[in-house]
Amino acid sequence: MASFPDVERAQQPAPQRSAWAEFFYQVRTLRSQKWGNLWGYVFVAPALILYLIFQAWPIVRGLYMAFSDYRWIIPATHGWSSFNGLDNFTEMWADETFWTSLGIALKFTVVYVPATMLLALFVAVMISKVKNAKLAGFYRVVSYLPVILPVSVALVIWRSFYHTEFGYLNYFLKSSLGIAKPPNWLGDADWALWSVLIAAVWMTFGHQALLFLIGIYNINPEQYEAASIDGAGGWAQFRYITLPMLKPIFVIVLVLSAGVLGTTVEVLVLFDTGGGPAESALTTGLYIYRTAFAVGDMRMGYAAAMSLVLGLLSMLISGVVFKMLRTERA
Amino acid sequence: MLRSLKRNLRLDALLVNLSLLLIVLICLLPFLWSVSSSLKGREELFQTLPTLFPQHPILGNYEFIFTRRDMSMIPINMLNSFKVSFLAVLIQTSLATMAGYAFARLDFKGRDLLFYTLILLIFIPRAGGLMAVYELMDALGLRNSHLGLALLFSSAMSTAVFIMKQNFLSVPRELEESAIIEGANTWQVFLHVAVPLAKGGMVVVALFEFLYVWGEYLITRTLIDFPELDTLSVAVSKITGWAALFTSSAFSTYGAEAAAHVVAMVPVILIFIVMQKWFIRGLTDGILKM
Repeated sequence: MASFPDVERAQQPAPQRSAWAEFFYQVRTLRSQKWGNLWGYVFVAPALILYLIFQAWPIVRGLYMAFSDYRWIIPATHGWSSFNGLDNFTEMWADETFWTSLGIALKFTVVYVPATMLLALFVAVMISKVKNAKLAGFYRVVSYLPVILPVSVALVIWRSFYHTEFGYLNYFLKSSLGIAKPPNWLGDADWALWSVLIAAVWMTFGHQALLFLIGIYNINPEQYEAASIDGAGGWAQFRYITLPMLKPIFVIVLVLSAGVLGTTVEVLVLFDTGGGPAESALTTGLYIYRTAFAVGDMRMGYAAAMSLVLGLLSMLISGVVFKMLRTERA
Repeated sequence: MLRSLKRNLRLDALLVNLSLLLIVLICLLPFLWSVSSSLKGREELFQTLPTLFPQHPILGNYEFIFTRRDMSMIPINMLNSFKVSFLAVLIQTSLATMAGYAFARLDFKGRDLLFYTLILLIFIPRAGGLMAVYELMDALGLRNSHLGLALLFSSAMSTAVFIMKQNFLSVPRELEESAIIEGANTWQVFLHVAVPLAKGGMVVVALFEFLYVWGEYLITRTLIDFPELDTLSVAVSKITGWAALFTSSAFSTYGAEAAAHVVAMVPVILIFIVMQKWFIRGLTDGILKM
C-alpha cells in the first residue's frame, strides 16, 4: 500500500471571516469595484450558466411547487397556474403518514449520527496509534472502501447478507453465536429499520473516520509529549488534547450529517417504494419520493411542500448544533 | 518499572491491531463474499456450510452476464456508466478549471460576490429539488438522455470550483506574469501556462466527480425509464428474471448477481487504490477548508 503523504502535509484552515460575512461585505462594496478584466466573465460564464440552469433554477422552482397543487399526471396542474396557498401544509398537518414517517426519520437520525461518529472516532484514534506507516495505510484504505462503493451495490450486497435462509449473517448468528432464532432482518417490522441503520453506518463511518484522522494527524505531537511528561495517561490525553483539537472536524461531520434526516436511497434500494414490512422503514424521504414519483397522480406539489418542511427542519437542527459547538469554543 | 511499561506498550499495540483487524474484517467481508459467490456454481452456493474460498471456482457466472445478451444487459449498463461518468468528468473538470482560474487570478467586478454565492448555495436545502429537476429535464428533452445526466451531475460544481481556485492560488504567478509581458492574452496564459501547473487540482476534481457519478442512484433511477439506458448502479438493484433460469454447477443465478455486483465495484475500487493520494488531497483541500 502506498502511503498518504498528503495527510501529514495537510494544514488546518486559517481562521478567517465566515463565508456569510464575506458575502455581505462583497454586496456592500460591489458598487465601488472596477470592471477590471472582462475575460473573467468569459471564464466564469459556462460554469455559471450550467449552475444556474441545473442547480439554482430547481431551488426556485421547487419552492414555488411547494405552494401549488402540482400533479405530474394531470397536465392542467402544470406550470404556474395551480397555486394553492398553504393547502399543502394544512394537509400535511393532518397527514398521519407524514408524521409517522417523520418519527421514523428522526429515530434513524438520532441513532445513526452518534453511532457513526463514535465508531469513526474510535477507528481514527486506533489507526493513529499504529506506528508502522504501511500498516496504517492499509487500515486507512480498507476502512474507506465501503464509502466509495456505489450505494446501490453496497445495499444489494447487504440485502443478500440479510436473507433469512441463504444469508450469511443469520448463518453466522446460528452457527457461531448459537442464536437459535435469528431475526428476520428485512421481513420483520421490528428489525427493518435496524437493518437499514447497520448498512448505513457500515457504508459511511469510513468517511468520518478519515476526516477525524486528518484532524488527529494535524495535532502537534509535542502536545502529547508534553502531556506524557506531565504524567497524563492515554485517556487523559484523548480527553484533554485530542477531543478539543478535533472540534472543527466535529462541526464539519455534524453539519454533513444534517442531511441524514432526509434519508431516501437506503430504504429505496432495500424496500423499493413500499417502505418495508408494515411501512416500518418509511422515512419522510421515501414518503416524499413515493408521493412524487410512484403513486396516484404523482403529486409533486405536495411532495415539494413536505420536502421544504424537511429541509427547513434539518437546517434548523444543523444550525442549532453549529451554534452550540461555536459558543462552547468561545 | 521500565519493563512493565514496555509490556504495557506491547499490550496496547496488540489491542489496537486486534480491534482494527475486526474493523477490516467487517469492511471486507461483503466484498470477499460477493467475489466468492460470483465464483460458485449452484451446488456450492447452497451447501449447508458456506465457504469463503470456493472449492471449484467457475467463471460461468461472469460468462453469463457478459455473453447472454438476451438475458443480461450488464455490458450495456456498464458502457452507459462509463459514458455518463466520462462526459460528466470532462464537462465539470474543464468548466470548474476555467471558473477557478477566473476566481483566483482575474480581477473583475463582482468576482468575490459570485464566488461566495456559489459556496453559500451549498447550504440551501434543495426543497422539492428532485421534482423540479424532473420537470426541468422533461422540458429540455433531457429525460432518458445520458447527456442530460452528465450535464446535471457536472453542474453541482461549487466544491470543484473551490478546489480549483485554491489550486491556482497555491502556484506561483510569476510565470503567468512573464507570459503577459511577452504579449500573451488571458486565454493563452490560462491554457499554456496556468493549466499545466494546475493538473493536480484537476485530477482531484475528476476523481471525485467520477466516484460520485459512478455511484449515483436516486436521480438516475428517477430520470431513466428504459432498462437499456440504465447505468450499472441502478441496473444491479433491478436484476430480475434470472431466477427462472436453469442453474447448474457451472452457473447459478445468485452467483451471476454477485458477478454483476463485482463488475459494478471493480472500477471504483481500482481507481481509489491507485489514486488514494489525490483523494486525501481532495478532502483536505475541499470540504475541510470550506
